[in-house]
Amino acid sequence: MTASETTTDVAGAALLRTEGLTKQFGGLMAVDDVDLRIESGDIRCLIGPNGAGKSTLLKLIVGQLEPSAGQVFYRGEDITDLSQHDRAREGLSMKFQVPAVYGDLSVRQNVHIPLQREVSRRDIDAEIDETLESFDLLDEAGTRADDLAHGQQQWLEIAMAAALDPDLLLLDEPAAGMSVQETERTAEYVHRLNDRGVTLLVIEHDIDFVRSIAQSVTVLHQGEVFAEGTIDEIEDDPEVRRIYLGEGH
Amino acid sequence: MASETTTGVERSTADAPDGPLTRVRDALEGPNTLGNSRAFWAAFVALVGFLFVYPMLRSTYYVNNTAFLLASAFLGLSLCLVWGYAGIFSFGQVAFYGVAGYTFGVVSINITGPLGTVAGLTVGVLVAAGFAFVIGYFMFYGGVSDVYVAIITLAVTLVLNTFMGQTAGEQWAVGTARLGGFNGMTEIPSLALGIGDTAIRVADVPFYYFVVGTLLVTYLGLRVLVNSDLGYVMVGIRENEERTELFGYDTRRVKLGTFTLGGALAGFGGIVYASWGNYIDPSVFGLTFAALPIIWVATGGRKWLSGAIIGTFVVTFISQKLSVFGGQFSQIILGALLLIVILGLPEGFVPQIHARLPWLLNRLPGGGDSS
Amino acid sequence: MTALLPQVLNLLLQFLDSFGFLILSAVGLAIIFGMMGVINLAHGEFITVGAYGTALSYHAGLPLVAAMVVGVATTTVFGLILEFTVVRRLYGRLLDSMVATWGISLIMIQGLRVVFGSSLDSIGTPLGNIQYGTFSYSTYRLLLAGASLALLGALYWMFTATEFGTRARATIQDEEMSRALGVDTNRMYLLTFGIGSALAGLTGALYAPTMTIVPGMGSTFLVEAFVTVVVGGASVLVGTTGAGVLLGAINALFSNLFGTFAGRMALLVTTILIIRILPQGITGLLNQIREEEA
Repeated sequence: MTASETTTDVAGAALLRTEGLTKQFGGLMAVDDVDLRIESGDIRCLIGPNGAGKSTLLKLIVGQLEPSAGQVFYRGEDITDLSQHDRAREGLSMKFQVPAVYGDLSVRQNVHIPLQREVSRRDIDAEIDETLESFDLLDEAGTRADDLAHGQQQWLEIAMAAALDPDLLLLDEPAAGMSVQETERTAEYVHRLNDRGVTLLVIEHDIDFVRSIAQSVTVLHQGEVFAEGTIDEIEDDPEVRRIYLGEGH
Repeated sequence: MASETTTGVERSTADAPDGPLTRVRDALEGPNTLGNSRAFWAAFVALVGFLFVYPMLRSTYYVNNTAFLLASAFLGLSLCLVWGYAGIFSFGQVAFYGVAGYTFGVVSINITGPLGTVAGLTVGVLVAAGFAFVIGYFMFYGGVSDVYVAIITLAVTLVLNTFMGQTAGEQWAVGTARLGGFNGMTEIPSLALGIGDTAIRVADVPFYYFVVGTLLVTYLGLRVLVNSDLGYVMVGIRENEERTELFGYDTRRVKLGTFTLGGALAGFGGIVYASWGNYIDPSVFGLTFAALPIIWVATGGRKWLSGAIIGTFVVTFISQKLSVFGGQFSQIILGALLLIVILGLPEGFVPQIHARLPWLLNRLPGGGDSS
Repeated sequence: MTALLPQVLNLLLQFLDSFGFLILSAVGLAIIFGMMGVINLAHGEFITVGAYGTALSYHAGLPLVAAMVVGVATTTVFGLILEFTVVRRLYGRLLDSMVATWGISLIMIQGLRVVFGSSLDSIGTPLGNIQYGTFSYSTYRLLLAGASLALLGALYWMFTATEFGTRARATIQDEEMSRALGVDTNRMYLLTFGIGSALAGLTGALYAPTMTIVPGMGSTFLVEAFVTVVVGGASVLVGTTGAGVLLGAINALFSNLFGTFAGRMALLVTTILIIRILPQGITGLLNQIREEEA
């Protein structure tokens, strides 16, 4: 149930592994000695009360923040000192919590910027169409990203992050602020990406959404891994219910 | 509107999909530049044609003055590239302009003849680029961004202003070139291209053609650059640097490269200026001159190459006319113009006109159909 | 020893003079930048308005202190009008605010020249000189250094003890929150800009007797104000004071040893280095120390 992996694991068995990952802000331990392990092909959901350190953990993995201690391994390789762009080139991609699209540019240009890493100039127009089509955004290709509806902005950013053809995609609250129908569609996109071979690590508050996508769940509490298992195991865990599920819902 | 949204570029159907003309247009066109239609290129060719016959229509005085107005565009374009495309708010493009101008003066005064001016041109551009590289490395690899870039670049410019201002004494000379303090460096030779007796002295009408030719090459070259993959990355950095970094782009390197190129371009402008007036002084590093390119580019439309060129030309032209006819009110009118543009047309006047052009053309008697 | 003393004294007075100039130049700009995120490139011309108001009313027959009050009042009214008509539309648009206020500055410089000619009669520095052996220093300039300290004290009081100060600090920290709590942020901005303008006017009024009064005199203040604010960082009091001490010392030392040109260069070079080492200025450094202690 708990994830106490040791360093004797065969390298490459896990796509992503963190070891004693810690981030301290002043006196606050935002992320405290986290050992996380994600197998290739997984859809892992990261849940926990507000302030549990979920977003901070994602930023540490992607390189936006420097850890106070600990390491991040990707395909068995220590990437702790790698820059953000080098991690992206290794196949790590991320959607931010607040949609970070290029607001002043058209939807088409938004997708162009990440996609040109993967596709040559000759094929890019067709590839953009295909990417937009698969996220149902083709009709909005000429719209300014800032003028999109909130849900569409979230999808656009997922489309952009996915355009890099990543091996590991981190999504920070992809369904936040969405209607039930929109949430269902987001779940469908997540499954479709996973079918294409993308491993996903998803932060989400909406437990129905988590149930519809998660193959495994990690509960973070006060910066520490509190529990780990399938969604059923997590939901049945009285301790988890006490700190999280009982809270508010 | 809706029909052009998917590609943003209206493709020519006249030649084969892989014909040379299509390939050239593909390289020149894209959403990062204005003017991606056949009508634009027709007008563009007409304008270039007019610029080439212009010296036959007007006296040398006007030709010289027009050359000066057009030459300012190099400085405007350098800021447009750096600020408008890559989002680096440089308040010190004039530093590179002035450093290159002084370098050109020092080299071409010390090495007489055409060889000296060609060497001065080369060395001047390289020094400006190198200087921009050093400042850029210092800033971008030190995590300096936004308004602090403006302050550092301005401070560098003012350091040069203060330093050059006190170089009046005899001891401030490089070889035979006196720096001259506030009075500036005089007797800088005009550019001459070629070797020995066959060299063409680039002054008056030849100078005009030199400026028109180099500006044309610069504009088309920059169009290819900003519509390339690298151009997309620059625009991505302007809109959201963090996001672009996480797409796997080394944004610091791209900013450094852009800033260095911008420095070289501004430097070229400074050399052209020093060669045009045979003179340069520390006021090129002054606060007033440092603000000018920002005014030009902000007025025309900083996010577009054509905005920078047209903005530079129009604002320089208006302030010249104002100082002749507007007398003491010229600065007031200029300031008011700037205020109106920032409050009313924050994206500049060129993109506004560009967006309304089809509507305007339709209004003309017998104007085009409504497609 | 007797030869060294005037030298040390001279350096000290030069430091005080430089410190006073930097602080008085910067406070108005610092308050507007720190609280509203607007960079006022017409700040120098606001100071000019204060000097013009003072000089004109002094020549009209008012006693100097009353003339200074008029100068401050004129600048305040002027600032409030500009806030209402132009600056209000530029909040949150840092770069646009720089370009627009640059336009305002061009209009003001030439406007003053058109209306009042190329210069005003000078007022003449009051209070005479302090004599010590071969060395003499203007008493009034020293008084200005004292005024800058008094001003910092007054601002400290304003930020900590008045209702405006409490609301102002709330607005800086979280605009949306303070709006939700009923602070009228529009009115706060108007007030802040008014206070910033009044301080600029005060600077102009205080320096009016020591300078040649010309339309372009504001540029003397602008660069110094800028570097002090940037080196200081967001905190108006602590940051600006720290920057004034640091830059004042460097400026005085280099001016004393190598001449005024070297002093100015040292000032600018220090600024460049500080931005590189401490992107958040002295304020950022202090916050960091505080955080590590916590």
